Amino acid sequence: MKLRIAVTTVLCLGLVFGVSMLSHQTHAQGKRAALSGGPASMPEITVLNPMGTPPPIRLVPQAPRLDTLDGKTIYLINTGYIGTDRFMDETAKWFRANYPETSIVYRDNQSGAGLSSLSDALWAEIAEKGDAAIVGLGH
Amino acid sequence: MKKPAVPVVMHDFAAQQKEVAFNLGMPNFRIQYFRGPVWGKTNEQIRKQVMEGGNPITGRPVMQELVENLTRPLAAEERRTGEVKKDLGPGTYTGTPEELQKLFLEKRYTDFLPVELPTEEKVAEMLKSTSREPGEVLGRMNPGSEAGETWTYTVKTAAINAVMAGAAPEYFPVILALGSTGMTAVNVSDNGFMAGAVINGEIRDEIGLNYEEGAVGPYAHANTTIGRAWSLLSINGGNCGKVGTTYMGTIGNPMNLIGIIMAENEEKSPFRPLSVRRGFRKGENVVTLFMGWGILSAKNWAATVWGPNMNYPEIIKEIYGTQDGWLFGTCAVLSPPIANFVRDAGYDTVEKFTEWVTGRPPGAKPAVGGNLNSGIRNAGGTFTVIVTGGSNNNYFSMGGMVPSRSVQIDEWR
Repeated sequence: MKLRIAVTTVLCLGLVFGVSMLSHQTHAQGKRAALSGGPASMPEITVLNPMGTPPPIRLVPQAPRLDTLDGKTIYLINTGYIGTDRFMDETAKWFRANYPETSIVYRDNQSGAGLSSLSDALWAEIAEKGDAAIVGLGH
Repeated sequence: MKKPAVPVVMHDFAAQQKEVAFNLGMPNFRIQYFRGPVWGKTNEQIRKQVMEGGNPITGRPVMQELVENLTRPLAAEERRTGEVKKDLGPGTYTGTPEELQKLFLEKRYTDFLPVELPTEEKVAEMLKSTSREPGEVLGRMNPGSEAGETWTYTVKTAAINAVMAGAAPEYFPVILALGSTGMTAVNVSDNGFMAGAVINGEIRDEIGLNYEEGAVGPYAHANTTIGRAWSLLSINGGNCGKVGTTYMGTIGNPMNLIGIIMAENEEKSPFRPLSVRRGFRKGENVVTLFMGWGILSAKNWAATVWGPNMNYPEIIKEIYGTQDGWLFGTCAVLSPPIANFVRDAGYDTVEKFTEWVTGRPPGAKPAVGGNLNSGIRNAGGTFTVIVTGGSNNNYFSMGGMVPSRSVQIDEWR
């Protein structure tokens, strides 16, 4: 094994959570065997890791789930991607047919496409009057 | 808001959504996937193909899963708190050059081409071209939207990536100026954006930027490696350009490899340089960043006056009128002969020409509409003129590219 990896024994907590995106950032020790094979006479050199620094990630617990949909109000949010209005229209019809005791409220995003363009007022309305939300993120 | 919310997203974005959820602190966030896109489908098609279909990932019925995502009690890992950090590997790697090239490729540190391996010695040599401290935070970058977290990188990070790109140390102040803006060269958008830069001032000759024939292509070491360094810094310093997580271009854009790094041909242009029109003094070393789809030969567009008797100003105006400039406006990259045709037609300043092309009086701001989720303000029909290239024929290019920030380069020496 010609490759020597300097530093690091820190296990990635992300891997504990099974996040597949980190697969390309595999722990360096695990790569040593696979990377051998260069000509024996070729000298080794040490190079620098070119990556920047990601921000720390603070885990946020998800909101408790509903015990039933009956008697509850669900907001259907169209964030503005083309076709989402039709999707939400059909979603509303489905809920009314299958969960007649559930209230459906449809809200259209008027200020552009994307989650970030939803207004604070809409989130406040959902928090005050809704029990849950289904958000169409596209496409 | 402490109420259960379930996003519905087409399954093609699953890896990216997982990363976004992780970055937001909810690695097990419940997301409902479906087979999309819904764009262009009728209500009936959506009902039958999307809602009555299965989640392509789990194979289970979409609507049933959706209800379960709202009602199934949370598991322990979905309620977890605390802090996690991503493991980005060790600070250095040791091996033979062949092994390290393979390692960098596997870790996606590269643009899939071999790189100059960044030894401490080469990076130190690069850092000699700036008075800035290696540990100084140079910038913060995300892939261009809420889809990605914002990473931080230092002057030394930029030097490492500049070495990898094959850049000469004398180019480094330009690379630092680009990196200081935090604008990615590889935007996440599914629309396939590219990035570019126009360089004005004496530094053009000082570092050998090409502004004659082949000015916008990879035909000079400085133009090519500065663009590549910006792309590699975006990939590594800003974690951009990773297909499936931080890159979503449906078709992609080949200009993401090295962008378009142009120097204006100030000597042969009949107009004031772009930087001067943006408030800098002539000769001052300035880089102006651009974002858009890129440029193509003007012959790509149909123009009624294209023939033996050419009316170049009219052709440019016609293309401007037919192009959708809502997002990135229109950028005309004129060779000196074309710029002279424009001047000879009575438009001796870019401002006069812009007024005629756009129909807007001088100083009038174009209509600006919404704010895209990428954070880019739409250009609403801006018109930008750049003069560069050779004088060996009457060719020029146009496309959708809008200027953003202009940065003084000498601050980064």
